[in-house]
Amino acid sequence: MLKHLYDTDCVTWSPQGKLFQVEYAMEAVKQGSICLGLKSSDYVVLCSLKRQPSELAGYQEKQFKIDDHMAIAIAGLTADARVLCKYMRTECLEYKYTYESHHPVGRLVFKVAEKSQHKTQSGAKRPYGVGLLVAGIDPNGVHLFETCPSGNYYEYKCQAIGSRSQAARTYFESWFHLFEKSTLEQLVLHGLSAIKKAIMEDEELNEKNVEVGILGKNQKFLHLNAQELKDYITKLEAFNPNSQIQQE
Amino acid sequence: MIFNSEISGQYEHTTSPVVTGGSVIALVYNGGVLVGTDTLCSYGSMAAFKNVQKIAQISQNTIYVSSGEFSDFQQVVKELAKIDRSALQYDDGVHPSPKDYGNYLARLSYKKRCKINPLYLQNVIAGFHNNDRYLALVDIYGTYLESKFITTGFASYFCKAIISNYWNENCSLDQAKQVIRECFKVLFCRDCRAHDVIQLAYVDAQGTHIEEPERVETKWDFNGFKQRANEKLHTQ
Repeated sequence: MLKHLYDTDCVTWSPQGKLFQVEYAMEAVKQGSICLGLKSSDYVVLCSLKRQPSELAGYQEKQFKIDDHMAIAIAGLTADARVLCKYMRTECLEYKYTYESHHPVGRLVFKVAEKSQHKTQSGAKRPYGVGLLVAGIDPNGVHLFETCPSGNYYEYKCQAIGSRSQAARTYFESWFHLFEKSTLEQLVLHGLSAIKKAIMEDEELNEKNVEVGILGKNQKFLHLNAQELKDYITKLEAFNPNSQIQQE
Repeated sequence: MIFNSEISGQYEHTTSPVVTGGSVIALVYNGGVLVGTDTLCSYGSMAAFKNVQKIAQISQNTIYVSSGEFSDFQQVVKELAKIDRSALQYDDGVHPSPKDYGNYLARLSYKKRCKINPLYLQNVIAGFHNNDRYLALVDIYGTYLESKFITTGFASYFCKAIISNYWNENCSLDQAKQVIRECFKVLFCRDCRAHDVIQLAYVDAQGTHIEEPERVETKWDFNGFKQRANEKLHTQ
């Protein structure tokens, strides 16, 4: 009950030191459908579950290319995601225009985080209601970042956000020690296995509702097409992470 | 770079340079890039400042030299240093590569050229990055050209023959130094605004090395000179 006294706007602290509006914004991220990312030493893979508003509608895309070396997967308000996506694309383009090289990934995530933080310190603004998983390659290596409506950002070896993402994170906790040395195929299969843990009992993965994006040191961002997705989902039946341990 | 004149609306355009630096010669060699320039800044035809270091180290693996208006050179050095300092803010350990500097300078020069207020410079950026040699020319218009050898000013007229006869891109550092010294000998003889004290600098896998200034060997005690100086004129 007391919560409602301090949650009207971003410029009010609660006695416990919380900004409730920012926390509510993070809830919006948790309502979005799951998306996850995982990386090896050479590749980053983004997997997401697409939602279909009704049978007549198409599936909502959740992964967007920012530049050849960078892509994002979103969870939360798609409209807010579009704004951030446009900002990131513009920054990458300007950087390329000036320096003829790719925007360093960490730096762009920092810029997005700074932008997000501004929205949490104003009476007239609301935080962005979207969390991003940013996958990118730069001279510092292979990166996977998560951004939050709060303006915080973290780098991960693998991470899942959105609805029922805890199940995927639990899968990751068991197997992430294998990811560094995984091949691209193993990485995609791990990603799809993690998503499978997070879907509802009556749902199933198919090439229409799943989205997989791949980025590599020598691989520009690539969406897997329907046929490739079908093949991977078939391979999923026989996939056993234990066999990967025996290889090493 | 924003000048007060641009804000107030009263434009002052650079129409001619005042204090100028001389030719720059840069050559790629096996394992790095070598740059040479003299140590003179001329005030028109007067050899006003004879001991100037015109080679700037921009970063651990990048050198910047230019010929033309020296105050513009000094300003550009500050502008390029700004880029690397901003990297500190982002805290990600990513530093600009020599190519980033070259392209940035090209964009800057082009912008100022479009406002008819150019940086009165022929710029040379030399660097060594990812085991690759980097050498680029950015001219007064903002043209960006990567190349294996670069000459600016009078060197473009006098020295290209020497370079093509005695240099190749896989020669040793000493060979490249000899070629540049020979070029500056010729320049001192033929270019009125040249000086016989030069400075060499090179970038390789170990970083940048800027050497002490040296005097090129020139010979002036020819017998012919002495005879002509002492001979009587027809009328005497």
